[in-house]
Amino acid sequence: MTTASTDRRFTVARLSVPAWMLKVEGLGKVYGPHDDRIVGSTGPEAGTAKSPINGSVVAAWNVSFAVAAGEALGIVGESGSGKSTVLRCLAGDTSSTTGSATIRLADGDVSLLDADAAKRRRLRIDTVSVVYQDPAEGLKLNVTAGGNIAEPLTAAGWRNFGKIRARASDLLSRTEVPLNRMDDLVRAFSGGMRQRVQIAKALANSPSVVLFDEPTTGLDASVAAGVLDLIRSLLEEHRIAAVVVSHDFSVIEMLTQRCLVMQHGRVVESALTDQLLEDPHHPYTQRLVAAARA
Amino acid sequence: MRRDPVLDVRRLSKSFILHAVSGREVVAFNDVSFNITVGEHVALAGMSGAGKSSLLKCIYRTYRPNEGEVWLQIHAGEYVDMCALSDVEIAAIRSHEIGYVSQFLRSEPRRGALDIVVKSALQRGMNHDDAHDAAKLALQRVGIEPRLWDVYASVLSGGEKQRVNLAAGTVHPPRLLLLDEPLSALDPENRALALDLISSLSHRGVAVVSIFHDLEAIQRLASRVLVMEKGRLIAERNPQELDERLAAAAR
Repeated sequence: MTTASTDRRFTVARLSVPAWMLKVEGLGKVYGPHDDRIVGSTGPEAGTAKSPINGSVVAAWNVSFAVAAGEALGIVGESGSGKSTVLRCLAGDTSSTTGSATIRLADGDVSLLDADAAKRRRLRIDTVSVVYQDPAEGLKLNVTAGGNIAEPLTAAGWRNFGKIRARASDLLSRTEVPLNRMDDLVRAFSGGMRQRVQIAKALANSPSVVLFDEPTTGLDASVAAGVLDLIRSLLEEHRIAAVVVSHDFSVIEMLTQRCLVMQHGRVVESALTDQLLEDPHHPYTQRLVAAARA
Repeated sequence: MRRDPVLDVRRLSKSFILHAVSGREVVAFNDVSFNITVGEHVALAGMSGAGKSSLLKCIYRTYRPNEGEVWLQIHAGEYVDMCALSDVEIAAIRSHEIGYVSQFLRSEPRRGALDIVVKSALQRGMNHDDAHDAAKLALQRVGIEPRLWDVYASVLSGGEKQRVNLAAGTVHPPRLLLLDEPLSALDPENRALALDLISSLSHRGVAVVSIFHDLEAIQRLASRVLVMEKGRLIAERNPQELDERLAAAAR
């Protein structure tokens, strides 16, 4: 046929792709004693994250990925798959067993996992923010919305009361919290509004990396939609490297371009998000997608 | 001497393994090769299920091919094999070089028509102001009135969605345009607008691979027709000699 391709060889173009801002290599978290045999006794093929040998739980193992500024990477899986463990290791809420995580800043690389407690606190103030599923984890409920946002600002060295107020009201208006609620206790806020305050606080010091852990789970559908829209527009406006953990493919589809699928503590598949939804390869991904499309 | 191809598809194959049905293998298409040069418009024809849409999705890499190569020119004389790229590289190539317009607008929830087209323009590297101007122009070109620009695309009619989709895929002429039944829900007037738009892109050098279910669109737009049957490329035809029955069969 005349349309058959020639056998000529092409000059291969060199592609420039955005440089990574967060890079995770070989991250692992095991609860309990472990060695190669115990780790090998868990995972998707074993059908469990808990070792039948000694009962140790391999919550996450050999997780690697990189995220560029302005990019959002999804981690999807059922509860217990290890996705939140990965996020909590990166946030410093729990220690990792093995692996490395690096943030590339303008003035050099910062290693996240082997930082001491003081350094970790410092990183959480101005470099890595977390938006938790439960606002009570990220906020003090008995403090006002403005007071919650002032906390990371003062921790970062802000001293001028007027400037702190101005920054807090700017953040609250960006996350669409009515400014007349600024001096109300967060306890008096609805679930959706609490989540917006938590997002405002997470953005306070313009972090390089923001980790979202099931940010809309548990909210009413219409409220969740509003919070999702907010996160989407913030990700489009800011040059943030974001990781979005969710069991919900519709959240992943809306916010991310690439995605990892986790099962029993392991990454079983990683691809562009539209590939996972339209051409899932791993049996577990096929089940997840079939469930989401039902 | 032959002109350099914009797209050179070599021995491309795709099948799906359905784990829920005890690992059954379903073949989408097999051993497909063709190429296309600047400004050429190649239409795929054949019965439904012949593998046409799957082939487009494999070129765009929404489907991951099992075997083969998809060489795309991205600079004069320089190519990438879409099958050998990382996810991040594919994302970059898609947003800069390829427009993909499917039959259905997979619109993001709660996003207005103008916003969708602006986002596409921004991804193509236009600055904020240019992107807005280009997006408005693109919507006007397909007959979407300004009163619909801030309406969530999800509540638009089927024909309006399709036109928003077309505007987003063509807001900045891509190097390669993939069209999967982009006119199926359009009334005659808007259909004429869309046909003009696609034809003008070919004149500007855009390489097009398309699927249309009607002979008229194929004969108006295509320079060549590739006929698929049961997942194989079986023939090449001149559009003017295309069998009415064959084109109709795709419906």
